[in-house]
Amino acid sequence: MDAESAKNLAAGLGIGLATLGPGLGIGYLTGRASEAIARQPEASGDIRTAMIIGAGMTEALALYAFVICIILLFVA
Amino acid sequence: MAAEEATSKVVEALHDLNVQNVVSIPKIGPFDFSITNAVIYLWVSAAIVFILFFIAARRAKKEPEKLQTLAEILIGFGRGHLTGQIGEKGRKYYYLILTIFVYILVTNLVGLIPKPAVIKPYVPTANINVTFGMAIVVFILTQYLGMKNHGVRGYMRSWLLPPGVPKAIGTPLNGIFFTVHAVGEIFRPLSLSVRLFGNTIAGHLVILVMLGLILEVASAVVIIPASLFIVFMTGFEIFVAFIQAYIFSLLSVIYIEGAIYAGH
Repeated sequence: MDAESAKNLAAGLGIGLATLGPGLGIGYLTGRASEAIARQPEASGDIRTAMIIGAGMTEALALYAFVICIILLFVA
Repeated sequence: MAAEEATSKVVEALHDLNVQNVVSIPKIGPFDFSITNAVIYLWVSAAIVFILFFIAARRAKKEPEKLQTLAEILIGFGRGHLTGQIGEKGRKYYYLILTIFVYILVTNLVGLIPKPAVIKPYVPTANINVTFGMAIVVFILTQYLGMKNHGVRGYMRSWLLPPGVPKAIGTPLNGIFFTVHAVGEIFRPLSLSVRLFGNTIAGHLVILVMLGLILEVASAVVIIPASLFIVFMTGFEIFVAFIQAYIFSLLSVIYIEGAIYAGH
């Protein structure tokens, strides 16, 4: 395998694997937030804010991997 | 040969994300002050924000019209959702947060508008320099506020264990606490900027790759689903533009609030 195809393979596999964890995390987070809203609809505003912050934090993990894959593909 | 031409069409579509010089200014030391299309789109968004609020404030009436209603909705959103919990000491940073929110929102939306190649299209927030510049402002303000409100020693002490822990356990633990906290502080602007940059550039990359695919494979089997996907993605990007502006300013509020009331 030459360097170019190894790079492409690493970028493709990298972003695919890196979205697994954050995907599970955001799914779990949103499910739990909906449960909490269903249990206590009057607190939905606070729950939604907490959910969005958590989703933003979790999503950043996938984005780090995304940036590294972009660097692999176009810069390195 | 055919394959090379085909890939070049997809790659060509990605040139929308290239910085192009408009007015070249010779480098001064390591700094390049050339006016690029990125700078121009940043100025355009800043001008839109300024003009929107300027005209809305000038024409303020008892019964608001279109522009004033928009400005009032933005201000009300900022006051209610963003800076609701910032407290008395943080009241004056409300304007900074509102500016960050509206500016990022307008920049994202300006980047989303399809533009002809003549005016050198560019998405300012899809550039890590732009987002990191904004995040660095929040970072410096956070550290300054922490040191101003608690003194340098007091601020550093808020990173450590609470007083009253025996020295034999406290000293080594404090070393770990301090390192972890310092690394966490440094990673805050990094994660702020990478989040905004990554979200914007990812959406635009997907749309541009789909556009390149349409140009490359000119058959109805590809064109119809790809166009529908582009329409869907653009709608989703508008949503992402709001969410990212909201998250960036909300996290800025949380960091500033944490520095003002550190150690409580």
